[in-house]
Amino acid sequence: MLAMDQGVVEEWLAEFKTLPESAVSGYAASLKEKVCLVPALYKVIRENYSDLLEPVCHQLFEFYRSGEPLLQHFTLQFLPELLWSYLSVTSGHAPHCSGCIEALLLGIYNLEIVDRDGQSKVLAFTVPSLSKPSVYHEPSTIGSLALTEGALANHGLSRVVYSGPHLQRETFTAQNRFQVLTFLLVCYNAALSYMSSPSLQSLCQLSSRVCTCGYPRQHLRRYKGISTRMTVSSDFLVQLITGIHYALCNGEADLGSKALEDVLYRAQLELFPEPLLVGNAIKSSLHGAALKSNKEGTRCIQVEITPTSSRISRNAVTSLSIRGHRWKRHESLENSIDGPDSGAPGPIPEISVTGVSGERMANGEAQRIRTEGQALGPEAVPDSRAEVRRQKSVRRLMEDGGAPTGRVHN
Amino acid sequence: MTARKSGSRLETEIERCRSEGQWDKIPELVRQLSAKLISNDDLGELLLGEAKLQQYLKENPIKQGSSPRGIRPKLVEVRKHLTAALDRGNLKPDYMQEASMLMAKLCYVEGDYQEAVSQYSRVGLDDLPLVGSPVYRLSMIAEAYATKGLCLEKVPMASPSLSNRNVDREQEIITCYEKSGDIALLYLQEVEKALSAGMQNRSPKPGPVAQEQELGYFLETGLQRAHVIHFKNGNLTRGVGRFREILRAVETRTTQNLRMTIARQLAEILLRGMCEQSYWNPLEDPPHHSPLNDPLRQSSYTKDYSLSRRPRVYSGENLFCPQENTEEALLLLLISESMANRDAVLSRIPEHNNDRIISLQSASVVYDLLTIALGRRGQYEMLSECLERAMKFAFEEFHLWYQFALSLMAAGKSARAVKVLKECIRLKPDDPTIPLLAVKLCIGTLHWLEEGERFAKMVVDMGEKASEFRAKGYLAIGLVYSLRATDASLRGMQEEYQKKALGAFQRAQSLSPTDHLAAFYLALQLAVSRQIPEALGYVRQALQLQGDDVHSLHLLALLLSAQKHYHDALNIIEMALSEYPENFILLFTKVKLETLCRGPEEALLTCKHMLQIWKSCYNLTNPSDSGRGSSLLDRAIADRRQLNTMTLPDFSDPETGSVHATSMAASRVEQALSEVASSLQSSAPKQGPLHPWMTLAQIWLHAAEVYIGMGKPTEATACTQEAANLFPMSHNVLFMKGQVAELRGNMDEAKRWYEEALSISPTHVKTMQRLGLILYQLQRYSLAEKILRDAVQVNSTAHDVWNSLGEVLQAQGNDDAATECFLTALELEASSPILPFTIIPRAL
Repeated sequence: MLAMDQGVVEEWLAEFKTLPESAVSGYAASLKEKVCLVPALYKVIRENYSDLLEPVCHQLFEFYRSGEPLLQHFTLQFLPELLWSYLSVTSGHAPHCSGCIEALLLGIYNLEIVDRDGQSKVLAFTVPSLSKPSVYHEPSTIGSLALTEGALANHGLSRVVYSGPHLQRETFTAQNRFQVLTFLLVCYNAALSYMSSPSLQSLCQLSSRVCTCGYPRQHLRRYKGISTRMTVSSDFLVQLITGIHYALCNGEADLGSKALEDVLYRAQLELFPEPLLVGNAIKSSLHGAALKSNKEGTRCIQVEITPTSSRISRNAVTSLSIRGHRWKRHESLENSIDGPDSGAPGPIPEISVTGVSGERMANGEAQRIRTEGQALGPEAVPDSRAEVRRQKSVRRLMEDGGAPTGRVHN
Repeated sequence: MTARKSGSRLETEIERCRSEGQWDKIPELVRQLSAKLISNDDLGELLLGEAKLQQYLKENPIKQGSSPRGIRPKLVEVRKHLTAALDRGNLKPDYMQEASMLMAKLCYVEGDYQEAVSQYSRVGLDDLPLVGSPVYRLSMIAEAYATKGLCLEKVPMASPSLSNRNVDREQEIITCYEKSGDIALLYLQEVEKALSAGMQNRSPKPGPVAQEQELGYFLETGLQRAHVIHFKNGNLTRGVGRFREILRAVETRTTQNLRMTIARQLAEILLRGMCEQSYWNPLEDPPHHSPLNDPLRQSSYTKDYSLSRRPRVYSGENLFCPQENTEEALLLLLISESMANRDAVLSRIPEHNNDRIISLQSASVVYDLLTIALGRRGQYEMLSECLERAMKFAFEEFHLWYQFALSLMAAGKSARAVKVLKECIRLKPDDPTIPLLAVKLCIGTLHWLEEGERFAKMVVDMGEKASEFRAKGYLAIGLVYSLRATDASLRGMQEEYQKKALGAFQRAQSLSPTDHLAAFYLALQLAVSRQIPEALGYVRQALQLQGDDVHSLHLLALLLSAQKHYHDALNIIEMALSEYPENFILLFTKVKLETLCRGPEEALLTCKHMLQIWKSCYNLTNPSDSGRGSSLLDRAIADRRQLNTMTLPDFSDPETGSVHATSMAASRVEQALSEVASSLQSSAPKQGPLHPWMTLAQIWLHAAEVYIGMGKPTEATACTQEAANLFPMSHNVLFMKGQVAELRGNMDEAKRWYEEALSISPTHVKTMQRLGLILYQLQRYSLAEKILRDAVQVNSTAHDVWNSLGEVLQAQGNDDAATECFLTALELEASSPILPFTIIPRAL
């Protein structure tokens, strides 16, 4: 490490300590002007035997704890580099020197899992529903919504927890490691817009290395540092992909697409469906995107004027054009109501919703009928006649229900 | 306004044709008009000029990005009409304005931008009233603003050196487009209102209704150019703001496609260019300083105009307004999806090939974005429902099928996922990942071993082509054989499968020597076949590759216990627990080892500790937060009271292992429960498919066992009762009740409990062994022998069963057979671990 860099870092360490409380926000805004500082801090973290590492980690934690958004973002920008530093030490079986990085990571984690009052924080969001009016739509214009079980269950807006509550952690263990790291990435991803290019590059590099070390693909990436395999978790990969997606669209197209490929490679080897799902979607959406991310490294998203008339010819049969179509009814409608398999006329008819529940219900039904038969003997006959009546009325209901759409069209 | 007041039928008709763009009817109407009113010749000129200009533009549409073409002979006539109307000056002021606007438009079409601009300034666009204007004039004003913007972009600045004026000019241009867009939306809403009103009024007359209005070049530009410029300038906040303004305006038929495109584009920006912290909601003002805007081109532009009339926006009480970028993206995507879905081209005839591709593409983008948004938030259940709707596009489309399969897998709908994966394999037979995913599901909760074997063989059969996945293929088939060996009821079959499994694991290990899983499963298989020293070698190798792998550590401890090095085993378990403090399977082994090494008091302390861990792990999550992610059926099951009717499947049970074929019914319950579990806890540590309540019951049963070992029936009963409160029908609970009864010397009661346990789980070897012994004590030797022989069939390595069988045979006087049994028992006991090796889960 150069003496100059060291000087810059030492000055930074000293300056913040003497800062009065009132000057913090002004100081935070002025950090941007210290051009040499950030590269110097990256060097300190990378060469993690440096004497400066411990005070630097300590100060980064102080920044985070201050609650000043600019200072928090300043610390967060180093998160990918810190994660890599931590993971490369843990995978090397040599627990040296990473103590202060561990403490910093756990410190941020423990701060973020609670709200201002010290209560466990829960990250939640509302799942929008088309059946409720919004600032962008009116349910009546959407047309008939498929009346699925899911649609019914979510008729109203529902609030869903996607992270938390989390436990306070004093130390890293193999069991909680990826839980903590994943949550830290969630925090990082929540501030992606504030992250500088070096930070996004570092995130891409972290992703590539974590996913390929110890696998044949490592040679492709010409990385020689560590050759043992690193454990990953599915959720961790999904969070990495979220960050990579942002990097990919905001000036880091090359590193980003390499990183995405590497994460997908690893997800395939681990047979993790979640990162595969999201990664495939990103890859495919970049091909057919309406927006083109700018290749020149600037962070801007471009759009073009698109024709507003429908590009689909009018005589093509579409879902809309056959909505009111009256299908010829099958002769065996009544049978199909009786049959236990009438549940799912979807694309794969032989499967019921869970496979398991369908069978179980069918068994239960059969059992019930049998026990009734046994218990009631001859008296069971009127019961079965009532059953037929019930089915007929079901049929009538279905016919009536189907009619209105047809009538409107005729 | 004056035109409206005159109210003559002819004029209304003309107004209608102008607002609906039926230019071909105008000449005839003008003829009728001039026949009626002599003085209105000038109006006729105006109308003819307009009609001819519009007709020309309809026949020669201007394309986006192309420049106008200069003077055209056809336009000469238009100019003649308009000049005539303007020069004579007899027109009413608002008709004069119309004529000027048309003239300016003509100038633009002919490429004379400067002249067009001066025409517009003569009209004074900003002073034209929007309130009370006829509908067609709204469109005219909207077009005028757009055209003015286009001209201003083309006309060079007088003095380009002044950057300040450059900014002003840019502002002026954007304002033109934004006003044009707003008025265009208003116009479209008004047209639609007029159309629907008209349809009701003259219902019998079959007018040319439902003719879809096309926007044309000028309105299209007016609606979209403003945000294009914002994004070009790196002003993301204004661009997003403009998108939202357009989307908040009440939809019309004509704007549907525009809305769909813009909704998707906005969703893309929200997902790709924003984060939670830089988000502001649609009803808030954008932040003054946003990281989203290009810092180098920080333009001071903010919206600074107002219109006397604005397009109607969605309003009402309880309007949902997103509060987060993912929420807004989801809402927009759901709206886009409903539109894309409606446009799905279903016919497969060749003529519609192109249409089909277009509809597929626009839908795929929406579904990909939905996947990104929902995947980020872990909402796989909802995602799988969305992707199911994409299936109408999916015929022979690998990407859609594969994504659907993955979403089902992520949502825990294993059975359907396997079926969909089958279709994916058909579409892409060379990809080894797909059959491997299917094996993973088959040997998991589904326990479809035959099917799993078929999928695994596909990968193995790919040979070299599968490259890195070849070793995984062997691992997969090894696991299938290993599980089949556990299930097999005949010893011959068991041994055959064990041999096959061993061979496959060896192959996997030699293909991928750096994969710790290959070494680990090889070790586990060797351990199951009681080749303890060899197994120790491989488990050490696995630990060298992955030092903190929990299953390897657990296996090492069990192997040490098989060699009767109980203290070493306990040390290993404690070491493993320092890395996995909340791993209950490790803790259960610890209880067993502690009872042996340190006495029951220590073991009880561990049980107490487990209860504390359970509480901190699972009580943290508030079940009311569960939200979606579970179907109605699952939610019904989630109700704790319902658990009473279900059995407790065992996992720490010697005979049934992780999953056994005969406990399929039980494992189905387990599956259903684990689905609930995963929906309840997004954050709770995942320890296999164990429902928290099952874990709790297991803790109580372990405590009961320790108390039985101490000879304390009262405490043991209390613990068993706790477990029984959760799972009264569990065979483990019933077995434990039998044990307590035995301890109390109540043999009849014990027998009854054991019989009940067996009626629920007929192959529970521990129960069979105890029942056999009781029957032996009751001197019912042949029945005892039958039961014990059955137990040996189920698990041939249970040494205590062999021992009991020996005793029964001895009592029957069959000394030779008895000796053989005792010898077998002795031999097995020498390599018997404290808990069976099969408690370690086998999964891909």
